[in-house]
Amino acid sequence: MPARRQVLAIGGGVFAALGRPRALWADPVESVEMKGTARGERIWFAPVGLAVMPGTTVRFTNRDPGNSHTSTAYHPDILDRQLRIPPDAAPWDSDFLLPGESFEVTLTVPGVYDYYCMPHEMAGMVGRIVVGRPGDPGWQGAAPDSADLEPDALAGFPPVDEILAKGRILKEEAR
Amino acid sequence: MKTALLVAAATFLLPVGSALAHEEGALQMSPPGAPYIQVSDALPLPEFIPGLGTLFVDPATLPAGPFLAYDHDGRLSATIYMTPLDDLRNGTSYDGLGVGSHTVSSVDIYYNAGHPGVEAPHAHVVLFHDEDAKSRLAE
Ligand SMILES: [Cu+2]
Repeated sequence: MPARRQVLAIGGGVFAALGRPRALWADPVESVEMKGTARGERIWFAPVGLAVMPGTTVRFTNRDPGNSHTSTAYHPDILDRQLRIPPDAAPWDSDFLLPGESFEVTLTVPGVYDYYCMPHEMAGMVGRIVVGRPGDPGWQGAAPDSADLEPDALAGFPPVDEILAKGRILKEEAR
Repeated sequence: MKTALLVAAATFLLPVGSALAHEEGALQMSPPGAPYIQVSDALPLPEFIPGLGTLFVDPATLPAGPFLAYDHDGRLSATIYMTPLDDLRNGTSYDGLGVGSHTVSSVDIYYNAGHPGVEAPHAHVVLFHDEDAKSRLAE
């Protein structure tokens, strides 16, 4: 039985490697929303943790009517921050999204991607996306804690195991 | 001509700070004129923020403000202050701040985790200038 499950899990990768006919297998798109309470006491990414297959496009949309947010990868090329995405992956920065606006990024390199919201990093508005699974070629695990991030931001990343087990993790206020 | 007079009045009264409301007339309708700028023109924020309305501020007074809050009809409805909690804790006080109008019907104070312009977690202190102001700024 475990062997069978493993074969199924690998199956997706084989299909991806062979190249799927686009008409039959649209590339997957996942959604992450930026949200906040009406008075801005709390703000968050929903989900805060997300597991996707390599090649998935993640669409960030600002659903907070009174605030603007960004989705910005932790990367030395953007504001000289700690590298917290796989070294071979391209960093992204949505710039400020006004309410209703969205931004897409396609993630192909397997590994753990940590990102933040520029105006709300201090308030702990961060997120984590896990692309593929440990053992995938080129997999890069979670970055270590660093003094580059405030404790409130470091505390915001769900554990990789939990993201892989649940697929998506919502913060309490987002439920 | 009228605009020029308002600008002159604002410039003249500005150093007085707390005397801001003495030129009440100039601030009652949007736009309030210099030195105030519309927040959504300078920062990536919606033109009308639910709960706060359309905000104007003199950049020299950031982060505390006063922020002048106008409703959809351009009527001054609230004066708002934004005071970073860390600054308060570390000894900064915000004294003698101006008010957009001497008439205050109620005050709301609540926490805000930050937004462009005042990114540090802070308190919003909202002075509503008439009984109906809060509902007009709601959305
Ligand atoms: Cu944000």
